[in-house]
Amino acid sequence: MKKAVIPVLLLSVGLLVPLVIGDNPYITGILITVLMMATLASAWNILGGYAGQYSFGHAAYFGAGAYTTMIILSSSNSNPLVAMAAGVVVAGLIALVTGAIVFRLRGHYFGLASIAVAEIVRLVVLNLEFTGGAQGILLTDVKFYGLDLNSKNPFYYGMLIALVLTLGITALVRRSRTGYYLQAIREDQDAAASLGINLAYHKNKALLISAALTSVVGSLYAVYIRFIDTHAVLDLRLSIEIILTAIIGGVGTLWGPLFGALLLVPLAEILRSNLLGEALVSHGIVPEASVVGIFLKEHLAHAHVLVYGIITVLCILYLPKGILGLFRRNGK
Amino acid sequence: MLFLQSLISGLLTGGVYALAGIGMSLVFGVMNVSNFAHGDLMMLGMYMAYFVFTLLHIDPYISLVLVMPTAFLFGFALEKVFINRVIHHPHQNQILLTIGLGLIMSNSALLAFTSDPRILTTSYSSSSFNILRDVSVSVPLLLSFLITCVITATLYLFLAKSRTGMALRATSQNREAAQLMGINVSRMSAIAFGIGTALAATAGALIAPTYYIHPLAGHSFLLKAFTICVLGGLGSVVGATVGGLIIGVVESMSSTYISTDWKDVVVFVLFLAVLLFRPQGLFGKKGGQ
Repeated sequence: MKKAVIPVLLLSVGLLVPLVIGDNPYITGILITVLMMATLASAWNILGGYAGQYSFGHAAYFGAGAYTTMIILSSSNSNPLVAMAAGVVVAGLIALVTGAIVFRLRGHYFGLASIAVAEIVRLVVLNLEFTGGAQGILLTDVKFYGLDLNSKNPFYYGMLIALVLTLGITALVRRSRTGYYLQAIREDQDAAASLGINLAYHKNKALLISAALTSVVGSLYAVYIRFIDTHAVLDLRLSIEIILTAIIGGVGTLWGPLFGALLLVPLAEILRSNLLGEALVSHGIVPEASVVGIFLKEHLAHAHVLVYGIITVLCILYLPKGILGLFRRNGK
Repeated sequence: MLFLQSLISGLLTGGVYALAGIGMSLVFGVMNVSNFAHGDLMMLGMYMAYFVFTLLHIDPYISLVLVMPTAFLFGFALEKVFINRVIHHPHQNQILLTIGLGLIMSNSALLAFTSDPRILTTSYSSSSFNILRDVSVSVPLLLSFLITCVITATLYLFLAKSRTGMALRATSQNREAAQLMGINVSRMSAIAFGIGTALAATAGALIAPTYYIHPLAGHSFLLKAFTICVLGGLGSVVGATVGGLIIGVVESMSSTYISTDWKDVVVFVLFLAVLLFRPQGLFGKKGGQ
């Protein structure tokens, strides 16, 4: 019973937050991004954290979900859930092809091949006609069982469901036979193989689960924003942000990716909206006319990727097990 | 004629790609690290050539005399401060660390130089001459290719004959055995990373007169450099040279006969095909797994 306390507490907080903050689209938007990154990083974590297969190309599955959904919804009056399911199928197919190529390889080769597959997907989408090419796809109207989709709350709860689903699957997988096989593969592939574990089968299973969940988030994102292009949903940058979120929180832990998202997304938002720079200047800590003041006001907003880079470097050097790794010595 | 034309321009561009690929392959061979900051180091080389040209009015090809040693020292320092500390870590940590360093470089460049692309125009930037009736050769590309040949030949000689070169190769073959033979392997790592950085920056400086100079320019070259390394066999300098030429020709041929939009797709498909059918690369000896 004691084990159930934290998840139930977190879930009730998650359910109640929109009631507390009321009608504040800005804050709700940030929270949706937190939930989205947490879900993406958790889905990546099933493959990267538990099976130890670091995919650097998860944007491909996110994009598969987003593009399939947008293509279906912009050309027909389908139910978004059907479009989402179609996205899962497309992502699954890409995952099967990827798995067939990359799981024969190890170490450096695996990471490189996963990038190459994702880049091929991105370039193909960019160069084809029906995917909207460089212009992307705009969705003007979408209906879902009478919900008000101009409000952000339905998407908040949608992302929350996706996160709960992903964490639930992670919790199930890690205590299952497959989960133990995956962790054995992570620790020592050759030893795992010699014990009779079918490496390719289990890696592909983890990849499929991970890709399907990632694609669901992609579909939600597409309907939420109603505009997608390759830059937003298929870029290598997205794949890297997903990994970073998982790493900073703690790879191979159930709650790590959520922690990572809770930390990184608000930080990125503070930098992007330049709240920090404005606060320092308006409180008179840094004189507005000084070089530093001008720099803070003009340029700090562009520096959030730079800060991501610095955090990554520091994290790998000093905190390779993530924030949760600090509290868990025995790797539980 | 069209065929000959794209073959020649492919080979000339491929020479510069080869230079970037060799740098990455050397780092991989000696340190067993995939350097994801390689493209951004190339971008720094482009900016160095640009500023040496606009501020000091030194020709970009002559500026190599400044760019190479500066980049070597920069790479040497990077290795000593950062890379060195993850050399025994899992691959993914090395990849993430170099991605992080790359992000810092490209976004610092974005802050310092803004996102406006810059163009380095020399007096001969767009000049070319005809070798046959319909086949023209671009002067800056030919010059870069010739300089690449000189640098590559010097590097071969250095690796084959000099004591440091032999120590580098020994470290590449077997790090532990090299250490037992009294080679300072951590010094060799720093030297290899320095040379890798110098080669990346040189490749950047060489293409500066023919490309847009932009803080995020390194991204596409990074993936190209990896393709070249894998094609030639990770760690093989000769392989990377041939790999670079192949990629240059494949790219130029697919621009001519398919379309410019699809040339990168062709390169990546080739990359996956090599991984699938010959993961040790065209010139690699050991199994790629």
